[in-house]
Amino acid sequence: MKRLSEHEEDEMNRILSRDDEIQPSSGFAGAVMEAVRREAAAPAPIPFPWKRALPGVVVGALALAWVLAAGISDLARLIGASASPPLSVSSPSVMPFLFHEKMGSAAGWIVLGLVIAFVSTKLSMRFGSDEA
Amino acid sequence: MSASDDQADVQRVLAGDVSAYEGIVRRWQGPLINLAYRFCHDRGRAEEMAQEAFLRAYRALAQWRRDAAFSTWLFALATNLYRSEIRRIPARSVSLDDIAEPQDGRASDGGLEDRDQDRAVRRAVLALPAKYREALILFYFHEMDVNGAAQSLGLPEGTVKARLSRGREILRGKLPHLLAMPHLKEA
Repeated sequence: MKRLSEHEEDEMNRILSRDDEIQPSSGFAGAVMEAVRREAAAPAPIPFPWKRALPGVVVGALALAWVLAAGISDLARLIGASASPPLSVSSPSVMPFLFHEKMGSAAGWIVLGLVIAFVSTKLSMRFGSDEA
Repeated sequence: MSASDDQADVQRVLAGDVSAYEGIVRRWQGPLINLAYRFCHDRGRAEEMAQEAFLRAYRALAQWRRDAAFSTWLFALATNLYRSEIRRIPARSVSLDDIAEPQDGRASDGGLEDRDQDRAVRRAVLALPAKYREALILFYFHEMDVNGAAQSLGLPEGTVKARLSRGREILRGKLPHLLAMPHLKEA
């Protein structure tokens, strides 16, 4: 696109500088001050209780680390098992063992999840009743 | 408008005297409403946007660093708010392609009235892509001061200059007759 000539630029400046000026309505400053006073009178927002939450955050981080470590070790075991000679799916001696091991592992996760949910509910209820 | 008045009022507000904020509001209500009006061309909405800008400035007053003028900080805060508001709910406008080209004024003895020309140009400005529109609005609001526009937009001066140039070119492309009108040269 061709650049504007000096004359065109002057014309555009002249037109665009000629914008309407509006006056604030008479109650504008009052309405703003009313909103500001409301804002000033409102109680300050409750800060997040980092000190109290810290033990929970630490426990959560440890639990997450443990879950990750367990997951990685399970994965490593699976990879190790797949590297060994393939087992026959119909082998009656291997399947019940694998099935029981997986069931035990899943039950462990479920129990862990329930414990974490229970503890976090109890803690949040306690914090809530303390704040009130 | 005195910078020391702003500084004194800010200090009083920060010390807990909320009523001192009224001085700031009264000093800056005109510019803030007019800046908002340039973004939306709707008087009611301009006042709502300016009120929200004053409220946000009140909340953020402690963040004003004295190394910049209070007005610079206030305009930057308001500009930021107005830009997001207009992006959220665009001003009533038409697309650039739908803007009617004003008829050649030379054909009808004097052509368009100034008001019609202004309206056509403003509609064309509102229909520009946001980055060019914002640069043009701020540049003319700050009485053609690139530095003022750049500070309000939080952009380098070079970027603002480039956007101004490109925005004007797009406008010229949409409204060629407007810039060619002989009676505009005489005014």
